[in-house]
Amino acid sequence: MREHMIVTDLGYGDAGKGTIIDWLCAREPIGAVVRFNGGGQAAHNVVLPDGRHHTFAQFGSGTLRGVPTHLSRFMVTDPLSLAREAAHLSELGVPDPFRLLTVDRDALLATPYHVAAGQARELARGDDRHGSCGMGVGETMAYALEHPELAPTVGDCEEPARLTRKLYALREALGVTGPPVEDCVAAYRAFAERVILVGSSFTTALLRRRPVIFEGAQGVLLDEWHGFHPYTTWSTTTFANALELLDGVPAVRLGVLRTYTPRHGPGPLVTEDAALTLPEAHNGNGPWQGPFRAGHFDAVAHRYALAVTGGADALALTHLDAPVSRMCVSYDIGELPVGAAGDLEGQARLTGRLSAARPRYADGIDDWPAAVAEALGVPVWLGSHGPTATDKVLLRGVTAPERV
Amino acid sequence: MGSGIWSTDVYSAAASYRAAKGSSAFAYSDGGARSAHPDLDPRGVTLRESRDSAEHPDSLAVAVLFDVTGSMGGVPRTLQAKLPDLLGLMLRKGYAADPQILFGAIGDATCDRAPLQVGQFESDNRMDEHLGKVLLEGGGGGQMSESYELAMYFMARHTSIDCFEKRGRRGYLFIIGDELPYPQVKRREVEKVVGDRLRRDIPTREIVAELTRVYDVYYILPAGASYAGDGRVLAAWRELLGQNVLELDDLDAVCETIALTVGLGEDAIDLREGLDDLDELGSTAGTAVGRALAKLDRGTLVVADGLDLGGDSGVTRL
Repeated sequence: MREHMIVTDLGYGDAGKGTIIDWLCAREPIGAVVRFNGGGQAAHNVVLPDGRHHTFAQFGSGTLRGVPTHLSRFMVTDPLSLAREAAHLSELGVPDPFRLLTVDRDALLATPYHVAAGQARELARGDDRHGSCGMGVGETMAYALEHPELAPTVGDCEEPARLTRKLYALREALGVTGPPVEDCVAAYRAFAERVILVGSSFTTALLRRRPVIFEGAQGVLLDEWHGFHPYTTWSTTTFANALELLDGVPAVRLGVLRTYTPRHGPGPLVTEDAALTLPEAHNGNGPWQGPFRAGHFDAVAHRYALAVTGGADALALTHLDAPVSRMCVSYDIGELPVGAAGDLEGQARLTGRLSAARPRYADGIDDWPAAVAEALGVPVWLGSHGPTATDKVLLRGVTAPERV
Repeated sequence: MGSGIWSTDVYSAAASYRAAKGSSAFAYSDGGARSAHPDLDPRGVTLRESRDSAEHPDSLAVAVLFDVTGSMGGVPRTLQAKLPDLLGLMLRKGYAADPQILFGAIGDATCDRAPLQVGQFESDNRMDEHLGKVLLEGGGGGQMSESYELAMYFMARHTSIDCFEKRGRRGYLFIIGDELPYPQVKRREVEKVVGDRLRRDIPTREIVAELTRVYDVYYILPAGASYAGDGRVLAAWRELLGQNVLELDDLDAVCETIALTVGLGEDAIDLREGLDDLDELGSTAGTAVGRALAKLDRGTLVVADGLDLGGDSGVTRL
């Protein structure tokens, strides 16, 4: 692979971006994995052939292959959970994980205060929960939109006085308790002394050296503007942020999908089928997100995802080993219209229509790559029939995807 | 996606970053020690050995001795924090199959309490412990000379390395400092510091010739030291070591510089490949390392410069 690549989930998340990125990193020299959305709430599972397993949250999914991670300015960074994640990577035999990490100083900082406020907000919703992960990512984004000058950034970790002022203001504004500000400042200073913080030109330099993989978090159907409001995430989950970081440098857009369509927590899942009980090694029912749900492959929803993100150059299809043979090829309400970005009322109306939509199925699917390629109009380049990199196959008849 | 699997506990995170930073690396010095740690005291030491073993059949000796006197400013502390990464760096890119690393520290025998400290050749993290035991002297003589010649004497006469003795491959010795050696290895100092009785003082040029039969010796002058870039220091070392005198303008790049020098010496890489390796590892040291090592790259090197040591010196290999 000589091209940069953006890896994004075209569903509700959980399709297997982590395992695909691990495979890409095992195959060719990769300069870095760049995270371009979300934060510490990501959970990308990678299993090595020898059985070692890590759930990647902020570190990139190429870490076990020694590939460095860059957290871009779009990433909500949580140095506290990062430390615990690094400790586990060390246990797995990654020598000095912090050495593999660079963070953009402009990235927003998620703090224990955001976490406390986010959890309180979700609890107050009672039965109307949005499926937050309880990691404070949404709160961090909301606070930054409301108080652009006051939102703590990664760069502030190098400026204890400024960081202290911002954290006091933040704690007061959110009306939460949590650990003393001084203790947080001490931890963030230690973070800034240990991890290499960089400016915005770093990405440009990265792109010149070796192929870079942009690792998306969550899925396009959860996008803050194009997802099914209000069951969305405070994050741009489409290719958009990555394309902005690329700034015109070409890249392949790879969409990842399962042979069925899962979803964590509440929100529309038109093809949901309680009878569809498939083994799920790494996705439990989260204490904040709610249950893990499964539905049949929803070609309508995935076509909508492709439309809102501007299309993809190729697909990776995971869970080819799952015993599924049913695909939703259309809804009784027709295709889903793409609304204007930012029209949340329009998106909420779409959510309402989805609750009444009835899926129409095709049964007896056995050649999944061919069926998916036909249903979505995008070639399936890579297939996965198991958890490790050795379970991936490049599909015959499909050459390396062309770049944008 | 979607979980909060990694804890956000502020206290364990702070401890974790501090531990990773290796602040405990300075424990011996910061604990008020005033003399060399017994493990690093060269007095009475017969030999420091780098040996092949079943686990490490192709050992390669790599020694790093750095000046810990006051003129070096904060450099020794930076080195103490950076050098533990050296082994991993060489192994990860396969520059040497079984590197064994020895760390040591150089002071001034005319006035310091610990003019020479030398650890053991180790193939694992025990070398970190040796680094942690280095006494950061902070003194120094103020005459622009330190006892480098004494350190070179010890390395020439008190080490035994299988890579050379069994396979005829020289080990590597890196001296990191910012001043001149004294012109003679003084018999009085050798007796006091190492314990050997010599009949006469040994001219420094002679001990360099002896040493360079067994080791490829490099002198690294880092930025941030008092005499960094000083023409006299550079000229004097170039007279002794020829092109093996490296100016390093980013001290953070010291591990990378050493690792790539070994990689070049072992013909494992050329400079371009080495710099690509650094990129791949996410190191930002490439520019500084590239500048420091440009003259060592066999791809571009035609003639050694400033070499004036006669046929008995190992430096001519380059």
